[in-house]
Amino acid sequence: MDITQFSQALIDARERAGLTQRAVASKANMPQPALARLERGRGNPTLETLERIAAALGADVSIELVSRTAPDETVERYKRDVDRTLLRENLRRSVDQRLRSLGELQLFGSELRRSMRARQAKR
Amino acid sequence: MTGLERLLAALHKAKVEFIIVGGVAARAHGSARVTQDIDVSYGRDGANLERIVTALRPLKPYLRGAPIGLPFDWSAATLRAGLNFTLTTTAGDIDLLGEIAGGGTYEQLARHTVELTIFGNATKVLDLPWLIRVKRAAGRPKDLETIAELEALREEIDRAE
Repeated sequence: MDITQFSQALIDARERAGLTQRAVASKANMPQPALARLERGRGNPTLETLERIAAALGADVSIELVSRTAPDETVERYKRDVDRTLLRENLRRSVDQRLRSLGELQLFGSELRRSMRARQAKR
Repeated sequence: MTGLERLLAALHKAKVEFIIVGGVAARAHGSARVTQDIDVSYGRDGANLERIVTALRPLKPYLRGAPIGLPFDWSAATLRAGLNFTLTTTAGDIDLLGEIAGGGTYEQLARHTVELTIFGNATKVLDLPWLIRVKRAAGRPKDLETIAELEALREEIDRAE
């Protein structure tokens, strides 16, 4: 189970119990924002915290060790070819800068398509 | 102002409840890939449908790829009658998604968003783990390269932290 599946399982269990985050957090003796973080797939709860949350939800924690799903070979192969310098460069930029450059590239792309259509029409 | 900025400004001005998903969300997180449209998940309640209609009307939305002249009534009734719409506007292409495979509705996706300030507005963006999840759920061969880049991006972010 990855963190996104765990967070979804937590949300599902809370909704099945018909409880708010505040009510569960109060019963589990933890701050509500910490529970909200877990439901967003953030944080690294201890087993004791999980047990308190489960108890608040009228549930038990069950942990199972299963064979790891083999990574998707195609994705792994593609991953080797990802240009990480571009990613690092983007991560150094602000969100606005990342999206503005996307907007400029979109504009360039549409200009390119327009000129290609114009050229084909001339032929 | 780029088309993307105009589209986002229009949605915010009309107070539309939406989440940026897809390629623009990936770009916001740091992806280097270029996408030609913006995908947004939107709330399907009546008031939000009206807000979407108000937001996009000045941008003359039309069904992308449909023959010119086809009657298309841009209204809340049209949005209510459908679910996912691929539209072209004077500010660029936008996909309005009432539901996405592996992610669900706006309300379900809203739990897995980060709020980013984009061009001055607080904007919900699908978080990186869920972007990867919905791409995997889509199961399209063309998405494998995108998934690889998003996973590499997640590794780079983890490494930087």
